[in-house]
Amino acid sequence: MYHQNKMLLTSEMKTSDIIIGNPYLMLMLEHFGIKMEVHEKNVKQICQENNINAELFLTIANLFNGFKSSPLKESSSDDIQAIINYLKNSHQYYLKEKYPQIQDYIKQIYQLNNHPEILMIEKFFDKYFLEVTEHLDYENYIVFPYVLNLDKRLSQKNFDNPVDSYSVTEYREHHNDIEEKLTDLKNLLIKYLPQKGDQQLRRKLLFSLFELEYDLNIHSQIEDSILIPLVEKMEQLANRGK
Amino acid sequence: MSKKSINIIVVETSHIIYEGIFSILTKAGQLYNIHLTDNLIELQQMNIRIKADIILINPLLIQNQIKDFYSLKKELGHTLWIGTVYTLFDQQILTIFDGIVYINDPPNKIIASIQKLLLLKQNTDHKNQLQETLSDRELEVLKLIVTGNANKEIADKLNISPNTVITHRKNISQKTGIKSVSGLTIYAVVNSIISIDSYQE
Repeated sequence: MYHQNKMLLTSEMKTSDIIIGNPYLMLMLEHFGIKMEVHEKNVKQICQENNINAELFLTIANLFNGFKSSPLKESSSDDIQAIINYLKNSHQYYLKEKYPQIQDYIKQIYQLNNHPEILMIEKFFDKYFLEVTEHLDYENYIVFPYVLNLDKRLSQKNFDNPVDSYSVTEYREHHNDIEEKLTDLKNLLIKYLPQKGDQQLRRKLLFSLFELEYDLNIHSQIEDSILIPLVEKMEQLANRGK
Repeated sequence: MSKKSINIIVVETSHIIYEGIFSILTKAGQLYNIHLTDNLIELQQMNIRIKADIILINPLLIQNQIKDFYSLKKELGHTLWIGTVYTLFDQQILTIFDGIVYINDPPNKIIASIQKLLLLKQNTDHKNQLQETLSDRELEVLKLIVTGNANKEIADKLNISPNTVITHRKNISQKTGIKSVSGLTIYAVVNSIISIDSYQE
């Protein structure tokens, strides 16, 4: 999780080695939909087998290893699809796995430690979970279809219909709030909330929060540094084609 | 290193030693204002005029007056005390200083030791400032935030500008690590700043 001398990854490296170097890359493989039987294959081979652009794979893997990314040099329609799929899968991980897990830990803590402040935390979290769900739904049902549609029209060289008035730059502003409340929760739990026999649960809860934050942070970077620049380019092309 | 000038008082009876110290320090590239005295009483008087950041003192001058030294040290609060050592000393005496300079130390080592001590002191002062104890004003602002007031309302109620309110909010968030209003509300309840009943959903 916490970047201790992680390597900059390249396509000749063995996939199993890079996973051993940073086990969280297993999450990345999951989001890409890549199965874990990697045998002795290197990154290039795994990408070929799974029809994924190796540059995209490495850019994201290096994000996991703490290296800032820059926009892809060249990208194809397949890349857009791959990125959107990756992001959609991450959403499932958050909504179906991580957030429910955290919610559950909080409930368990309340059962052991019924301080009214713990109840406040529960309410805080429930409200926050709803906000996150709305945000992710916004991405799933508005942003991603917009991008895929734009991509389709460009490949069909269909410039007849005017480009939707929606522009991807609106989307940039949405992330901060989500990560902010996560930090608030962490600080409240570590620094201030009174304890009563819930040490272990609290530790599990905090570990879960840290894992969520780690993935979420990379997710935002993918959206900001990879997806949005790509879409802006596409929007320019589409408007010029008119 | 900061550009601010540093006040140093050297407490030493030997002019040879003083001139040596003076010469080394003035070549350091940092603005040092250097003063000399040869006894503790004059030191006390001098310090009233010139708040010393550092006092370089010959331990011989205090070895029989440790008690006086301690009360002087306490009185002078934030000053760093450095012993200038050129003969054998009981290690125990040397521990009363924040740092030591030996007569055989090369000039760059002497300068480095002094700068390191200054930096350490700066960092401790800075850290103490950032301690999460909120000031009275910040507490007032916090109470108004968590009871649902907007920045403008807080500014009106406390008779300060909205910009000042924003600055207070930033400081509160920085000290506590909490940014959202709902998070701050929980913080306020847990720390008994407001009662859980006055918290309206």
